[in-house]
Amino acid sequence: MSTFRVALSLAHREFTRFMRQPHRVVGTVAQPLLFWLFMGAGFSGSFKPPGMGQISYLEYFYPGIMLMMMLFASIFSSITIIEDRDAGFLQGVLVAPVSRMAIVLGKVLGGTAIAMVQTVIFTIAAPFLGLHLGLASLVPLVAAFILTGVGFSALGFLLAWGMRSTAGFHAVMMVFLMPLWMLSGALFPVTGVPWWLQAVMMINPVHHALNVIRAPFYAGPQTLLADGHYLLSLAVTVGWAVLCLVVSMLRVGKREKGVTPIPVGTAAMQPAE
Amino acid sequence: MILIDRLTHVYPGTRKLPPRTAIADLTMEVREGEFTILSGPNGSGKSTLFRILCGLALPSGGRITVAGHDLFAEPAKVRRILGVVFQSPAVDKHLTVAENLRIHADLYGLSGRDFAARRDEALAWTDLGGRLEQKVDTLSGGLARQVELAKVMMTRPRVLLLDEPTTGLDPASRRNFLAALHRLQKDKRMTVLMTSHVFAEADDVDRVAVMREGHLLAYDTPQALKAMIGTEMVVVQPADPEAFAAKLRDEQGFAVRRHGDEIRLEETENGEGLPMLERILERYRPEIRSISIRQPGLEDVFVHITGRAARDGAPSETPLQRTGSR
Repeated sequence: MSTFRVALSLAHREFTRFMRQPHRVVGTVAQPLLFWLFMGAGFSGSFKPPGMGQISYLEYFYPGIMLMMMLFASIFSSITIIEDRDAGFLQGVLVAPVSRMAIVLGKVLGGTAIAMVQTVIFTIAAPFLGLHLGLASLVPLVAAFILTGVGFSALGFLLAWGMRSTAGFHAVMMVFLMPLWMLSGALFPVTGVPWWLQAVMMINPVHHALNVIRAPFYAGPQTLLADGHYLLSLAVTVGWAVLCLVVSMLRVGKREKGVTPIPVGTAAMQPAE
Repeated sequence: MILIDRLTHVYPGTRKLPPRTAIADLTMEVREGEFTILSGPNGSGKSTLFRILCGLALPSGGRITVAGHDLFAEPAKVRRILGVVFQSPAVDKHLTVAENLRIHADLYGLSGRDFAARRDEALAWTDLGGRLEQKVDTLSGGLARQVELAKVMMTRPRVLLLDEPTTGLDPASRRNFLAALHRLQKDKRMTVLMTSHVFAEADDVDRVAVMREGHLLAYDTPQALKAMIGTEMVVVQPADPEAFAAKLRDEQGFAVRRHGDEIRLEETENGEGLPMLERILERYRPEIRSISIRQPGLEDVFVHITGRAARDGAPSETPLQRTGSR
């Protein structure tokens, strides 16, 4: 119980911090939005995915952009870990009598909350795309946002924890996190790509997260819960989030340990008794 | 209160660097209710010891108990009685003073009336009165430090660890901070261990520990440490320190110590300094740029013990003249 209270307090801090930095708010909202508008408008004319009927690229790309918002929000909240841990706020948290899970959850829930604000606002665009979202569909959609947010934030946490410099984190983001997003099906569908790419995409957990976000726009909760593909994607997304959380917690709990001294004949080697 | 028993810490080597021993077989006891300063040159192992004491790192070997609890086996129990002030700020500068205190209270499970009372108590000695709603990054360095200390005091720690807490403060802020710290330590009967380079800070503490290369070189009261090098010392600045040191040693039979441009004649008892000074002046006047008698301070003890000048210490009392000397 106290773990959860501490986590909420830390998450609240994360959120307040975000809202106090207007350029961060503008940046994280505007970038995906511009991406969506420009790429959506640009590709709409030529985009004819096999077996997807009359879907415009603007519409196809819409859940992918939501996923990108999740990715960015988690990255921005994890990046502070690197500096905070050795020379900042986290130092004080680490020496406090709180469970290590609370530290991870605080960061992850904070990142998720930041991402949620953006994606929920972005959901307003759905009717303009001709997507009719019933109230019942909002439940699986919001659940999908939370799950994906937790998954990405926990993954970001895990990556950032072992880092010494923010520059290193940018590198990891470009060669690891961005490709995960690119190969999720956010930019192009899984169908019609070379077999090897399809294989990579299918084992990419972010692909399943995208499915979980996309599905509620096209089917009601009952249909979803009867759909094997959806349930598989849901299971993968949940598994990914839980795994990252647990591994993060173990990492935080692990204190750096000195190595065993080399036994050389020094003065320190005199018998103790 | 803090028992350190045969502590050893070795940092793992890398492909290019061999493993490095930061703490070597260190045994010491910090007594309950005492204010202890831990000093030592850079790389002496004091920061490593600090990290281990906070529970952020595990040593290669040895044991530490804090208030009877094994720090490595029961970190959670020790965390509850520990307060830590880090060298770099551990407050969130985008949040207000009140928000920072609130989060810290949450971490230690303080809430409601309890929290309000503790907060007022912790803020009582500070100058933060009208600034609770100000963001920390709008405060001066001195005030920001007060937030750190107030935050930690709120949880009423029995043991307070501070890592060079006055780094970057101007002299007035530094004095304020230390005065408050001393007052709080006495009022609450806290056990305080503070690392510091600044020896002006060590004069009115209970005990000073000096580390070098992972070993404890000295650990005693400031008075006892000062007595180690006599009550007076003669400090000479000759034109050629190397040759002059040899001369004093060979021709006068003085025990000399060279520190950079200075030659020091330590372990001089009261009243012996002046005749020595006269003797030196009489014979070597042309070779000497300056000469003085000093009461040894803790910085001199530190220099004596560690065998080299403290890098970040206060400037020496005679300004060096380097231009055109050679």
